[in-house]
Amino acid sequence: MRFLLSTLSLSYATRNKAKTFLTLLGVVVGVATFSAIRGAQSTLVGGIRSTVDRMAGKAQLQIAMEGGVPEELTETIRELPGIRSQSPVIEQVVVPERGELGSILVLGVDLLGDREMRDYSFEGDDADLDDPLLFLAQPDSVAVARPLAKRAGLKIGDPLVLKTSRGLRTVKVRGLMTPKGFAEAFGGNLIVMDVFAAQDLFARGRRFDRVEVRLADGTTLEEGTRTIEKAVGPAYRVETPDRRGAQLEKLITNFVAGFNISSGFALGIGTFLIFNSFAVAVNRRRRDIGTLRSLGATPRQVMLLFLVEAAVLGLVGGVLGLLAGASMSQSFLKLMEQTSEQVFGIINASEAHIDGTLAVQSVLLGLFASLVGAWEPSRAASRIPPTEAFAKGSFQAKRGPLSKPRVIGGLALFGAAIAFTFRPPFGGNPLILMVMGLCVASVAMLASPASQALIDRVAPFAARISPVAGRLAADSLMANPRRTSGTVIATTISIGFVLGLGGYMGSTKASMLRWMHDVLTSDLYVRASANFTNPDSRFPASFREELAALSGVRSVESYRGMRITVDGEPAMLGTIEVPLMMKRVKHDFLQGNDESMLRGLSERGEVGVSDNFHRLHRAGVGDKVTIATPSGTVSFPIAAVFRDYTNDRGTIFMDRSVFLRYWKDDRVDTYDVNLISGADIGKVRDEIRVLVGGRMPALISTKREFVSEIGKAVDAFYSLVRITVFLALGVAFLGIVTSLLISVAERTREIGILKALGAVRAQIARSVALEGVALAVVGYVLSLPIGLLIAYFMETTVAEVFAGWRMPHQTPWGLLTELAIALPLVSALAAFVPARPAARTKVTEAIEYE
Amino acid sequence: MLRLTDVSKIYEGKSQVKALTGVSFAIESGEMVAVMGPSGSGKSTLLNLMGGLDVPTAGSVEVAGRDLAKEDEESRSLFRRTHVSYIFQAYHLMPTLTAAQNVALPLHIAGVPRKEVDERVDRALQEVGLGARDRHLPDELSGGERQRVAIARALVTGAALLLADEPTGNLDTVRGAEILALLRSIHERGSATIVMVTHDPSAASACDRRLEIRDGRLVGDNRN
Repeated sequence: MRFLLSTLSLSYATRNKAKTFLTLLGVVVGVATFSAIRGAQSTLVGGIRSTVDRMAGKAQLQIAMEGGVPEELTETIRELPGIRSQSPVIEQVVVPERGELGSILVLGVDLLGDREMRDYSFEGDDADLDDPLLFLAQPDSVAVARPLAKRAGLKIGDPLVLKTSRGLRTVKVRGLMTPKGFAEAFGGNLIVMDVFAAQDLFARGRRFDRVEVRLADGTTLEEGTRTIEKAVGPAYRVETPDRRGAQLEKLITNFVAGFNISSGFALGIGTFLIFNSFAVAVNRRRRDIGTLRSLGATPRQVMLLFLVEAAVLGLVGGVLGLLAGASMSQSFLKLMEQTSEQVFGIINASEAHIDGTLAVQSVLLGLFASLVGAWEPSRAASRIPPTEAFAKGSFQAKRGPLSKPRVIGGLALFGAAIAFTFRPPFGGNPLILMVMGLCVASVAMLASPASQALIDRVAPFAARISPVAGRLAADSLMANPRRTSGTVIATTISIGFVLGLGGYMGSTKASMLRWMHDVLTSDLYVRASANFTNPDSRFPASFREELAALSGVRSVESYRGMRITVDGEPAMLGTIEVPLMMKRVKHDFLQGNDESMLRGLSERGEVGVSDNFHRLHRAGVGDKVTIATPSGTVSFPIAAVFRDYTNDRGTIFMDRSVFLRYWKDDRVDTYDVNLISGADIGKVRDEIRVLVGGRMPALISTKREFVSEIGKAVDAFYSLVRITVFLALGVAFLGIVTSLLISVAERTREIGILKALGAVRAQIARSVALEGVALAVVGYVLSLPIGLLIAYFMETTVAEVFAGWRMPHQTPWGLLTELAIALPLVSALAAFVPARPAARTKVTEAIEYE
Repeated sequence: MLRLTDVSKIYEGKSQVKALTGVSFAIESGEMVAVMGPSGSGKSTLLNLMGGLDVPTAGSVEVAGRDLAKEDEESRSLFRRTHVSYIFQAYHLMPTLTAAQNVALPLHIAGVPRKEVDERVDRALQEVGLGARDRHLPDELSGGERQRVAIARALVTGAALLLADEPTGNLDTVRGAEILALLRSIHERGSATIVMVTHDPSAASACDRRLEIRDGRLVGDNRN
């Protein structure tokens, strides 16, 4: 076997460098995407945990509430038994004016009392932190972690300009921290300042982000938690840092799951490229196989030869893919970190790394994918009768296996994919991979007979379009059904993925835009923070009257959002003046109606819930939602269920008056400003700018701008699905190019014969290009049912399993049209490139080719 | 050595093709036999059946006491490895392997130790007069030399049955005569049974016996 590998296999690889490279590329792309995504993913999750742990220091419990912890609470906690120390904290990610330094985590702490919690490891001979009082006396004082100071070239006394919600603010370095323990959090991009100075700098008012607690010796965590919970009430979360890390992880579950799907796709596509490549290799090496068999090689030996080749390719591709993945991982991590911060308000900054286990997993996956891809072609190679192997063209001219069991099996698999799409037996990634696997398997089984049937119909058209070149292309297509089937299968599966994921993306975005168009109907939106999910700044309630008093303003609504927990699961609470909102918003109700919503929420103190909350929590009209409020735990009856895309974990809506009654927190995230008909939006916007100038941070957007900004957040959430679509599209083109390159190489002898019969170069080149176009058209047509099924599956079942949404299905006409135009063009181009040298080949050489 | 009894072979396809009908004959060990007949008469099919590359639709093909028609693909492969060697009209050499590597191929397939392979390959190449051309690729050899490599590859296994399908079909008269002389000398030096399919009466005359096939039937069996 070693001899055969080192001679026959190696020589085949070196003789077919381009094809071997493309096959290898399939494995490399698959493994690189897998390892990069997984590496970034585990770094993100590990980084979040690590940041939470490091930041927590010796703190055993953290007390937090959405919207912040009022200063007075520290007095309550101080009096409690079993508390050794407490420390208020403000945590804010800022971007410095020097953007190249990346995001910086600013931690505001009570430096006098906080050393009980954290070891700051202040250092430097000239560090004036030896006198904390002096540090505190100067509110612009910050202590910088040494890695950041080193990168920024900062030393004691240097200024650092930060972008805050109130504009550019300058702080001064008055201490340095050694990079160990706490100072390593957030990848060392850390600044510490006084908590009260941070309150002012980041417009927190008289609130902290959380209070950290260290328990007295002899007090257990359970006792401490119970004592604090009893004292502060149910609206506060009292949890260990570890649990907080887990909660943060839970918030990004869906987002992370999307990445898993993408890495699975990448690997699947890579596997198929290998299948295609090996299927063709078996075809091309039939004569060699025949010779080996006549010399006594057993079918098992032949199969083993191909499988070992695949294993070597898989291992080499796996290692190369791992190396590529390691370098791509940081980009994926950056994308994930940006999204997790923008969409979920979860911060992290780490250097992506691929650990040993993942490295081994990646290489093994490359090997596995390669073996899976090569299995069927290898088996086919072992079954080639030696007498047939020597007959030139007899195999190519043979019709594919049109056996009834194969067609029935393919249909059964596709039927199973449809069944699982509509009635899944289980959820999560296994379901997605199963449906995708069934789709791929059914295509592999059905594409051959279906493509033959289609080619029989398409080919005559090619002959009509161009009498000579078209006739040649048609003859070639119909005479070599096996070869064309391989190309068609590759195209069908890749385009199926593109259509499926692209269709899902388009449908989701369209649904959300439609929804935004229905819901965001105010003329101006005045926000205190750029972060939608976890605002770092809020308006005082009194600002509403100031806005309402402006000329041209008809009404102002005060929106306040809040992350809450319902039955242990994260969800969103949205509050607004419901009667005002109902006048301008058209809801799509699943249960209840405008009347029940208006009366229920504004008169009876009930809540409305989003459709995804309704599905995720199996709660509808007639049920109650129990929420922990600062005034106690309250059960709110559900008055209506309506379509809403505010949050992927579900949203509960209540009237602002009800929220104020239970939460006693009148601050506002966004003011929805509605203008009198004919009022000048620009003028009102300018007046609002003057009104807020210097007093508070504010982002003032028109309806269109606001929709566009939310659209960007949605895009960020689906960023990876978009990358996957591009990846699948790229691989689809790669598949077509590979197949056609091989197809043309295989036709060299035929081309020689055609030239001998008088065909000119241009006719041959055109015939090859036409063949490519016809193949793309057939692949495109066959991909439609698969692509549309995948799109429907993603829009309904997958969206419901992960987020509780069921997106209304929309046929992706735009994408279908784009592909219908792009595919034939790219195929023609892909075919034309190898067709040129083929057309120039000398007749005598071409005829001898094999 | 070889006995065919009432062998028929039918190829199924769009239309049924009867390649052989009721063919029976026996070849003794050490004989050199020519199978003659026009194109499409069934000569190559007969050769494939004798080497176990294919199985008959009816009848039995006994080689060295084993009925190949009753054996599966795997065991026929193993049987070929030790009992049968082929020489093809188109040589069927691996284009990327040197002459020596091509000759070594069946031994590697059979798992023969490397040292023994080298010795046997060397001997086989010497026997066909190509000892000095062992490192040449097929492309660097003439047609006659390529066929000599193919003969060396057939000899190297020491198989008792050597099947040659038009071994001189791709060669000019002089080279063809050289190959026939080589086959004849191999036959005279050793005890191998040689069955050669040919169109060429002069090639057939180099053999001890001549079988004639026409339209899938055995129509003549004469000794030279």
